Amino acid sequence: MVDVRLRTYHMVFGISAGAMASCILLLIPYLDVESSIMLVIFNFLFVSLLFPLQGTLLKKLSLLLVGNVIGWAWNSVFSAFANDASGYFGENFEATYMIVNPFLNLVWIVSFWSLSLATMSMPRKGGAFET
Amino acid sequence: MIVEILEFLFLVVTALIITYVVRHYLFTITILRNQHRKLEKPAADDNAHYEPSVSILIPARNEEQVIGRLLHRITELTYPKEKMQVIVINDGSSDNTGRIADEYAKMHNYFTIVHRKGETAGRGKASALNAGLNLAEGEIIICFDADYYPQEDILEKLTREFSDPRVGAVQGRVTVLNEPLNMVTRLVALERIGGYLIDQQARDSLGLIPQFGGTVGGLRRSLLERMGGWDESVLAEDMDLTFRVYLAGYKVRYINEAECYEEAVESWRDYRKQRYRWAKGHMQCFFKHWFQVIKSKNLNIREKIDGLLLLNIYFMPVWVLLSWIVGVPLIFSKSFQWLSLPWTVAPIAFYSSVGNFAPFFEVGIGAYLDGRSRAHRLLPLLIFTFLYNIFICTKALTSVLVCKLTGNNNNHWSKTNHTGNGNRYITNCVNSLTHGNCSDSGLESNSVCHAAVRSCVVHVHHAFACVS
Repeated sequence: MVDVRLRTYHMVFGISAGAMASCILLLIPYLDVESSIMLVIFNFLFVSLLFPLQGTLLKKLSLLLVGNVIGWAWNSVFSAFANDASGYFGENFEATYMIVNPFLNLVWIVSFWSLSLATMSMPRKGGAFET
Repeated sequence: MIVEILEFLFLVVTALIITYVVRHYLFTITILRNQHRKLEKPAADDNAHYEPSVSILIPARNEEQVIGRLLHRITELTYPKEKMQVIVINDGSSDNTGRIADEYAKMHNYFTIVHRKGETAGRGKASALNAGLNLAEGEIIICFDADYYPQEDILEKLTREFSDPRVGAVQGRVTVLNEPLNMVTRLVALERIGGYLIDQQARDSLGLIPQFGGTVGGLRRSLLERMGGWDESVLAEDMDLTFRVYLAGYKVRYINEAECYEEAVESWRDYRKQRYRWAKGHMQCFFKHWFQVIKSKNLNIREKIDGLLLLNIYFMPVWVLLSWIVGVPLIFSKSFQWLSLPWTVAPIAFYSSVGNFAPFFEVGIGAYLDGRSRAHRLLPLLIFTFLYNIFICTKALTSVLVCKLTGNNNNHWSKTNHTGNGNRYITNCVNSLTHGNCSDSGLESNSVCHAAVRSCVVHVHHAFACVS
């Protein structure tokens, strides 16, 4: 029961931290709406799928923070690029960016999540001859 | 009018994709939750001593590289030999498959070899299995492909579920043996982890429809004979059988602990051939069973929904392609009738983000639960298999539709080639563990090596002594 209680405690902390991060991101005027939504999605997915796993709360919160920073930086770069390019190429580029943006985010979200999982991986029990 | 049709199509496809997204997450969360429960309270094994007689069917066509490995392994299974019958169906092999099988039959009286020649041979796996079924005497029929390598106690694990009279079929877990060989085998291994450890297990624990996979699985012989054996007119005879079992009022159980190693395809060409056959077979099953699933009184509403989603699974890459083809012109045209721009963009953003992530997360959590720290790093590369599957499934759908329109049921069974490369990983694993060092085995870290030993290695006592 200790294990389950600990994970519930981690989830509660994770959801709170994820919600806080999401609110901050949505309030930042510099980031466009699509990018902010992607980061909110990242927070939701990351908390729901990583926080129930084994590992310390500090490690999980640190990973969540690093993920938000990377996501923010990634989206800021691409948003800035999209703003400049749409001024040059017109509305069609905006529409294209709307479609492509989730795929661009897929690159960092899946990569970051898979690396996070690798750091959180369950240690094998010695011998591992469970029957 | 055209815009309205496009919008309608777009909405339908979007709804479908979102349904699958929810399904993927539901499965992943279910397994995570179950894993914690298992850690807290291991399941009691009430049926440990149920040992019905079994007939093992092994269809083989030009499998000389791998058949000996499996047959040798069969002789090492811990199941009582007096309750075992092994039927090898040599399906018109032009190599030494038949001769190798005959050698085993000479040494073990519970082996029977069926040599199919001439016109009866080479008509696909279902046809070969039916030939074996005619000779089977066991209460339970167990199927293994020739390239498989089962755990020593796999029969005990598979058959004990049949003590429940409602169970018509069982399915064990397939794990890739030659995973370290190249990128294709590594990605196939990841797909297998997601497919079995998460998908199949979640469907089983949620009371949905776990799929009988045609190998590493068993069926009640009485039920199978009543249903008329395997249907030779479909390419995915396993999927077909899954639905026939459910429509007959029985269940399929998935047993994750019953592991068996397989030799995965080793090249993109073989990958394409195998997936094309699976995709076409599943699509045939969709057209054959969808209406029966809806009107069946033996299926509850949850099973009906999951059954339809399962039947539709190989159409999904085609639907994704269709959503791109339809969605992009809708955005660019901006001539919406029913939808406004944000409502067109939002679903696209949703399914191309959350939707695309869902299978990755499913596989990732599966790899985590399997203790595969290195495998996680390959997750982003699954995007390539996803894109490749769009091409494969679209081609398969075209073929199925052409067959439907022309009435020409062209079911050519393209057999997967097995090179026997998996043998060396078993040998390496035994040797490495015997000498106290798993790092030489070629398998990912100690975990996989240990798992391989736990599951299959011949000299288990040496290995045990080595790691304990």
